[in-house]
Amino acid sequence: MKSAETIKRLFKDAELSVHPDTDERVFEDVLQAQQKVTENLPAMPDEWRIIMKNPITKLAIAAVVIIACLIGISFWRTSGSGIALADVLARIEQVNAYEVQDDYSWTYTCKEDPNKSVNFVRRSTSLTSQEYGWKTIKEELDPNGGWSKFSDVYYLPQKKTTITIFHDRKKYAGEEYEDDWLDRKLEWTLENDPRSGIKELMARKYKSMGRATIDGIEVEGFQTTDPNWSGFPYDPNISGVFKLWVDVKTFLPVRSQEDYIQRDSMSNEGRWHSVVHDYQWDILVDAAEFEPPVIPDDYTGTVVKWPSINEENAIKGLKQWVELLGNYPKSFNDMIVWPPSTFLRLAEKSETPAARRLTEELKGLSAADKTNRLKVAIMPMRCLDRFRILNLLIIWGKDSAYYGKTVTPKDADKVLMRWKVSDNEYRVIYGDLHAETVTPEKLAELEKALPK
Amino acid sequence: MIEDKLLVFRFKRGRSEALRQIYDKYKIELLKLAVALIGDVNMAEDIVHDVFVKFAQSARRIKLAGCLKSYLVTSVINRVRNYRRDSSRHCETSIEGAGLLSSSERGPQQWAVLSEQLILLSQALQGLPYEQREVICLRMEMDMTFRQIATLQGAPVDTVKGRYRYAIQRLRSLLDGEVEK
Repeated sequence: MKSAETIKRLFKDAELSVHPDTDERVFEDVLQAQQKVTENLPAMPDEWRIIMKNPITKLAIAAVVIIACLIGISFWRTSGSGIALADVLARIEQVNAYEVQDDYSWTYTCKEDPNKSVNFVRRSTSLTSQEYGWKTIKEELDPNGGWSKFSDVYYLPQKKTTITIFHDRKKYAGEEYEDDWLDRKLEWTLENDPRSGIKELMARKYKSMGRATIDGIEVEGFQTTDPNWSGFPYDPNISGVFKLWVDVKTFLPVRSQEDYIQRDSMSNEGRWHSVVHDYQWDILVDAAEFEPPVIPDDYTGTVVKWPSINEENAIKGLKQWVELLGNYPKSFNDMIVWPPSTFLRLAEKSETPAARRLTEELKGLSAADKTNRLKVAIMPMRCLDRFRILNLLIIWGKDSAYYGKTVTPKDADKVLMRWKVSDNEYRVIYGDLHAETVTPEKLAELEKALPK
Repeated sequence: MIEDKLLVFRFKRGRSEALRQIYDKYKIELLKLAVALIGDVNMAEDIVHDVFVKFAQSARRIKLAGCLKSYLVTSVINRVRNYRRDSSRHCETSIEGAGLLSSSERGPQQWAVLSEQLILLSQALQGLPYEQREVICLRMEMDMTFRQIATLQGAPVDTVKGRYRYAIQRLRSLLDGEVEK
């Protein structure tokens, strides 16, 4: 007979580890999901739209906005030295390339041993160019006091490539694109973009710290301790301060600093400290600095090749989906083809000839060959991936719709998917996957005829 | 706790390295929990993958009243329950299927690599009613209190304790003579 303790030991001894390559790929998905959130601004709630339809509300809000703008402009123009953060933002927009350093550390009490603290110190150098993209080289302070390479991240729109090298794990992960997807992606992936901090500062309660001199440059400082900074009011145990110093002559940031302290009921403490400094604005950059890095021979990893996001590939993907699964995905969120094992389960349940051929073909293969074959087989559908299709709609315009829930491949005259091309034109993909451009009036007729 | 609070805080600021640390810290525990609960390693991988993706997407709106670990564990539990409900609609027998393949059978594209002990334990757990399985996994693997489990299951604490006792007895008979040496 086994005691509860023995069974508990059995639980603890039952080990699970992860395959490093797949682990990196899974994390890529997770990371991509995080980046999408950063990209997309929060949508207006429906209630807001209802309120805004009221003409009196519209007038009242317009008046409030005008007064607020006047007060805001007055405040910006008259505080401290007269530096307006809006001007700083506008000045950064004019910069073609810059370099910056970020030193940051994180110290917290060890959960297992409250007398022990855990500390890591890292530093990064980022080079950003509107023309070539950006790269960030990170280093970590090792226990011997030396700096060891931690990671290199490259976003190279001209090369249509991203590559991240994890030196501590001797891994790399890359993505290649057929189109200008990366240009769009670049806008929301700038890790040290000072504009994000300034925009948030402008949206918070902040004050001028007056003038000071940093590295021989006359600056004006701004700081906020607003509890709404970056959304941490849910935890009253965090207190923090963000400071920004701007060159009074050029209106460009010189330095910023973030400090946060958190204490729990046991008086354990965690501290975050980050200093972004040594901005080099409007520097000349050489294209050679944005060449993809040479990956050491003993590093392992994968490079994912993404199909181009366009109408032709969307149709190809939908066609393959129907051939394999018999019908269209009911919603964008159902367009899941990654990881391949997920899609394979769908294909195995399908009774279409294509699905049977595919599953039969896979039966004779080893596990590794099976996965590789499947990855190639589902490639046309990869632009239907749920994250990518969301962006597809953003690229094609927000006035887009998808009716896979009610439209079938036999519905040659029913709208499966549509998006706005111009004020007078909509592009429509029908149930049988032929496409045409229609007027808004024709689209209204087509959508009226859709099954409820 | 402090470490997690800071991680969540940095994560909400959009720091990918915080997300990486959260992912690295909890992926093994969550995968083990999912494998133990549903006995299908492929589905367990998908569930945990989905939990992390949803978590990453929630950066702007997430407000954790409790601890991060409880949040992630609850997310896994909810998805396992959804999966069981959906599966039972289509094919009752596939729910508790033996989808526990050793690493040599699954090939290099696998995410989770299971030890023989975990395969054995998961197979035995599939012999328990689901509520009992959930209680014993949360208690043994995630070190949750009976009160926490009761909240998660929406059941009285005494009921949860009863499920735990029955689960121990049943596991004893299922595992007797196979593991303890």
